[in-house]
Amino acid sequence: MAKLLEGPAMGLFEKWGVKTPYKIVISDASQIDSLIDSNKWMNDRKMVVKAHEALGGRFKLGLVKIDLDIKGVKEAAEEILTREVEGLKINQVIIAEMIPHDEEYYIAVQSTREGAEILLAKFGGIEVEENWDKVKRTFVEVGEKPTNSQLQDLAKEAGFDGELVGKIAEFAAKFFECYDSEDGQYIEINPLIVNPKNNELTALDAVTNLDGDARFRHPDWNFTFSADFGREYTRSEKEIMEIDSKVKGSVKLIEIQGGTTALLPAGGGASVFYSDAVVTLGGTLANYSEYSGDPPSWAVEALTIEVASLPGIKNIIVGGAIANFTDVKATFAGIIAGFRKVRKEGKMDGVKIWVRRGGPNELAGLEAMRELKNEGFDIEVFDRYTPLTDIVNMALGK
Amino acid sequence: MAIFVDENTSVVIIGGPAGISAAKRMAEFSHLNNKPFYVRAFVFPPDAGKSADVSVGNQIVSIPIYKSLKEATDETDANTALVFVAPSRATKAAMEAFDNPQIKALSMITEGVPEKDAKLLIKKSKETGKIMNGPSAIGVMSAGQCRMGVIGGEYNNLKLSKLYRAGSFGVLTKSGGLSNEIMWIISQFADGITTAVGIGGDAYPCSDFVTYLEMFENDPETKAVVIVGEMGGNLEEAAAEWYGAKKRRIKLIGVIAGFCQEALPAGMKFGHAGAKEGKHGEGSARGKSEALKKAGAIVPETFGALGPAIKSVYEDLITSGEITEKKEIPVDELPNLPKKVEHFVEQGDMLVEPLIKSTIADDRGEEPAYCGYPASELINNGYDIPHVVGLLWTKKLIGPKEAEVVKRIIMLSADHGPCVSGAFATIMAACAGIGLSQAVAAGMIMIGPRFGGAVTDAGKYFDYGCKNFNDDIPGYLAWMKKNVGPVPGIGHRVKSVKNPDKRVQELIRHVREAKLDTPRLDFALKVEATTTAKKDNLILNVDGCMAAILTDLGFPNESLNGFFILARTIGLIGHWADQKRNGGRLIRIFNYLVNYAVPSKKKVPPLEK
Repeated sequence: MAKLLEGPAMGLFEKWGVKTPYKIVISDASQIDSLIDSNKWMNDRKMVVKAHEALGGRFKLGLVKIDLDIKGVKEAAEEILTREVEGLKINQVIIAEMIPHDEEYYIAVQSTREGAEILLAKFGGIEVEENWDKVKRTFVEVGEKPTNSQLQDLAKEAGFDGELVGKIAEFAAKFFECYDSEDGQYIEINPLIVNPKNNELTALDAVTNLDGDARFRHPDWNFTFSADFGREYTRSEKEIMEIDSKVKGSVKLIEIQGGTTALLPAGGGASVFYSDAVVTLGGTLANYSEYSGDPPSWAVEALTIEVASLPGIKNIIVGGAIANFTDVKATFAGIIAGFRKVRKEGKMDGVKIWVRRGGPNELAGLEAMRELKNEGFDIEVFDRYTPLTDIVNMALGK
Repeated sequence: MAIFVDENTSVVIIGGPAGISAAKRMAEFSHLNNKPFYVRAFVFPPDAGKSADVSVGNQIVSIPIYKSLKEATDETDANTALVFVAPSRATKAAMEAFDNPQIKALSMITEGVPEKDAKLLIKKSKETGKIMNGPSAIGVMSAGQCRMGVIGGEYNNLKLSKLYRAGSFGVLTKSGGLSNEIMWIISQFADGITTAVGIGGDAYPCSDFVTYLEMFENDPETKAVVIVGEMGGNLEEAAAEWYGAKKRRIKLIGVIAGFCQEALPAGMKFGHAGAKEGKHGEGSARGKSEALKKAGAIVPETFGALGPAIKSVYEDLITSGEITEKKEIPVDELPNLPKKVEHFVEQGDMLVEPLIKSTIADDRGEEPAYCGYPASELINNGYDIPHVVGLLWTKKLIGPKEAEVVKRIIMLSADHGPCVSGAFATIMAACAGIGLSQAVAAGMIMIGPRFGGAVTDAGKYFDYGCKNFNDDIPGYLAWMKKNVGPVPGIGHRVKSVKNPDKRVQELIRHVREAKLDTPRLDFALKVEATTTAKKDNLILNVDGCMAAILTDLGFPNESLNGFFILARTIGLIGHWADQKRNGGRLIRIFNYLVNYAVPSKKKVPPLEK
């Protein structure tokens, strides 16, 4: 799942004829003056300024300012651009026209196994979460398009009447086209409103999740995807993502503040069972990580350095199932090199390492890990005869 | 019995190198089971017409490579396709396989296939009634019968997990790594597997749990199925629904990953592409576990409890008489993979007569070692190119004074302009469009008795003279005249006493200042004093000067020409690059530069029969 920020998301909407408010994205308040000339709407409209970052709860954090004139916009932009949230600086703000409106609606397209569902409601904003059962749906099979009558029926079922039925159906068709043509996974407008200036349905907000795997057939995707868990990526996460995008196989890292058990397991499946084991046994995760698909040892080394350097950790779980083709000896060589580097920086005092693994070259890999004991590492090494997650029980003393 | 793939499966692999490595793993499986190899063809247009060699035991089997799937199925009896091509082409390849009447089932190993494509493949699978495993699958393993892909891992694991004979348990996992783990657990806690399917970790695997569950239900040999699910999607819920819908013959054991999600910040995504809870909590690990439990499946609380749960199902099956204990084959009765010669040599069980002997360099460690010294350590300790020359040519680590002389000799001899034989030959070759190594070799060929190749001989005869005629220069010259001819290292075409060779002067000045002991150089200069008295240009030339000094420094006689060759290589490479840069045109000399001393035109006589 790959999430887009509001600016590029609305740009994509416009490409498929879905109307959005006038807006600009800036990274410095001093850019505003030079942009007024080409954005005449800024002179005579009320505007809203929002932090243009992957942050949840922007309103509560004071990162959304509404009902502003141009002077207010400059002040708000300047103020927001000095803010930091959880140590991450706000780099961009989006300035959009405020469109007065009476009613708010909700529309979304959600991918399903057989195709997609179009979701529609004649209410919007926070009412949607509260009345989720009343949101109406219609199904479109993969490879097909919704018919106009199908969409009109949906609009009527959702409570629209009069000329709005036709308008909604037409709008929904364009919105679906955007979802379908841009390899959408979930796209949503909340609120959707009628712009009194031109009587057109307009998207005041945009949630856009695209399929990152489809990037190869979208040369015009000139945006980067943003984190979709309510904060921007950290430096370490970005670094590992950068490596991940370059190598065969994969290396992944998500940091979790305050945890004491660090994960360095192999495999997308096993890594989640290790996370489950830590949480079930009352431990706290300092991160989620995994490497798989026989990545080069330098990539595993880079991941190891980030994981072993996490502050406040007490245990590192170097777990893994019995690999099919990931070379245990080679990937462990990366982990060992990483541990050595971090320890040289004096960062691994009091940290205990727990290893369990099987797969190609398992004997040599495990033996190399065992030898770390002679270098003064606090490490316990187990082979395939110890069940997968038992090392978590041992680490947490359960 | 088995599901999906069995002893009647014959495979066409669509894809290049990754497909060939998978075929090698599959061949290991054939060897373990002592059965014929079942990969029939590859489809890989760049290598179409060639064949790929795969060793099955100690036999090499050549598998043909075709341009298209159609060709492959026309020419072979392949009935199952294994797809390895890149995500941008995988869907098209799979669609062709669905449409090919000879292909009955598919497995797609390709990762990163767009979800929309995966959904189109699901639709196609329904339309054609063919099963497709994947995308992002690790493959399918039917114990003792067929291995599709690398599932099962390395050879020893196949043995340890008893994959050479069928057990009583089916396996369905989204994760590839865990499919191996579960097969291993089942072999330890029960009697092994019938078939294991890694269905793939994407959001929309083509054939779902229910499809395979129905196949297992219809396979009498499978008594129980282990499902390893994950949060995200609703395939586990569908499996639970299927299981609970009516009385099923098979026992179902399920374990779901993703409970950690409850303790994590909302939206934080772990694991496989498909492992994501819905916006409204759909597809949570807890929801899936509850659904399976409700449907009557055995659901251990943790992954750790899975082994004992499997064991208890197995013991019930034995008690009820549904299965009897399998007779185990002792591991040492199973075939081993044939070992390579290297293995026996390493173990010390085989003596191989070496082909060559080397006493100067060793490449068997992490980096080359020159006469025992690791290259990086030489660099890090400040050693330089002359020291490497010393080590590789004379096996000696030379001192700083010697190194300085060698460096100066190389610098002074690196080039002598474009007109000399060597450089001119290289330039001619470069202008004729010849590549670097051959053009430099053309220049090298010129090095010989008349050009640059007199160093070795000069060294040899100065050394001889120094030892035998040190105080008798006329005697030396007479001996040379009688036995050798002109003294090598003496004489120059253009340089003379009045027009001295600056390079020679520099070298001599340096060795004097460095206070090096140079008996041969001293001797050569005495010879020069005599010869220049006779003729102005019979001076000590640069070859002779180098030769005398290098011999004084202890370099063996046979290495001396090497200094000129080494140094001049720098210049020759430079001339080649220079011509390339300037776009030098083909050289053809003018007629007036040739003296055509040929007979006048004659009539050709008729050829005698």
